[in-house]
Amino acid sequence: MSTLKTDLIVRDVMMPLDKVPVVSHRTMFKDALDEMGKVCLGIICITDSGGKLKGIFTDGDLRRLLITEQKPMTALFCDDIITHSIKKCATIASDSTLIEAVEIMEKKQIWDLPVVTTDGKLLGMLHLHPVVKKLLGL
Amino acid sequence: MPIKTITVGYDAVKKVRIGGTEPLAFIGGPCAIEGRDHALMMANDIGNICDRLNIPWIYKSCFDKDCRSSPNSFHGVGVDDGLKILQDVRNEVGVPVVSDFSRPGWAEATGEVCDMVQVPAYLCRQTSILRAATETKRPVHLKKGQFMSPWNMKNSVRKIENWGGNQILLTDRGTFFGYNMQVNDFRNFPIMGETGYPVCFDVSHSIQLPTSMGNSSGGQREFIPHLSRAAAACGINALFCEVHNDPPKALSDANTVLDIKYLERVLGQARDVHQLRLELLDKWGEDRVHLED
Repeated sequence: MSTLKTDLIVRDVMMPLDKVPVVSHRTMFKDALDEMGKVCLGIICITDSGGKLKGIFTDGDLRRLLITEQKPMTALFCDDIITHSIKKCATIASDSTLIEAVEIMEKKQIWDLPVVTTDGKLLGMLHLHPVVKKLLGL
Repeated sequence: MPIKTITVGYDAVKKVRIGGTEPLAFIGGPCAIEGRDHALMMANDIGNICDRLNIPWIYKSCFDKDCRSSPNSFHGVGVDDGLKILQDVRNEVGVPVVSDFSRPGWAEATGEVCDMVQVPAYLCRQTSILRAATETKRPVHLKKGQFMSPWNMKNSVRKIENWGGNQILLTDRGTFFGYNMQVNDFRNFPIMGETGYPVCFDVSHSIQLPTSMGNSSGGQREFIPHLSRAAAACGINALFCEVHNDPPKALSDANTVLDIKYLERVLGQARDVHQLRLELLDKWGEDRVHLED
């Protein structure tokens, strides 16, 4: 039986930036969905030209959008992804503990947390499954 | 997204600002250049009307009409003679000018004279035309094709932006509704406005009945006042209307050009509706009523 490791920090487990799907705020909605499809993560990050996180868009957001958005699909595809993104999203610092990260995920009912610097620059992504494995020492 | 303001006019002509909360601008003239004297007469007469109404305006007339229905229809005076005439209009009337061009090879010459270059509606998604228009460094008047959705115009805008263009005017000129018929979908203005560029209503071609006369186009010019008022109320930054002193004898689009004797009536109303719209927005707030994030 493994023991819970409470001193582990986000940096130890997060996906590096080059593994995270990232698009610019001017990326067309259809192109952003294509990018999401290339990485089976269910989330895409939108950054500005300086690499700062401007929003996220998830599979769940897509489900909710399909129910609420009344414009034709062809028009939706042409929108900028930032139009439909969640701008005020939960994030975490790279030196936070994994326990803190899991608490945020539990509270927000999410399993992905963008990792950012103090000035909002995207560093990577924390996904719940590797966190659980690490915490359990598996 | 807030609407940008573009500026049309270089050197000594009177510059026209289009967009934001600027007054409604007018773009007009005979569909095709018919000759130097006629062009100057029309420019002077339209200019007098616009001066009386205090409306900033751009003279529009084309040197080549490549989309006529019949090979026997007047095709235009040609690029060389046409641009000389437009240069004379600029010099003698002091008004900015615009012409379309239908071959990429004509873009440079067009941009050397014209204050704005126009991309014909039928060619609005042609990469080579859009690139040539952008490379003139003049503002680009981009007409929405009758076959295009308003949101797909973003692709054409992005092509222009890709080559460094950021002075664009997007115009609705009607949308095909079955055969030989068009309708105006006024949602097109706010949708095209999502690009951030100013929008224009081309009332002349909106009331056109494309190729409805066998080998030429018909039109219902009786609807020009109604559609112009409606567009101004919806929210446009410029109104486009082709004007002629003797419509039945116009060499191009005789069934749709507005008789100049009615121009002041149409323009005055559009100007006032535009101004009222701006005042209403100030008083009651912006049009944004959809659900917030």
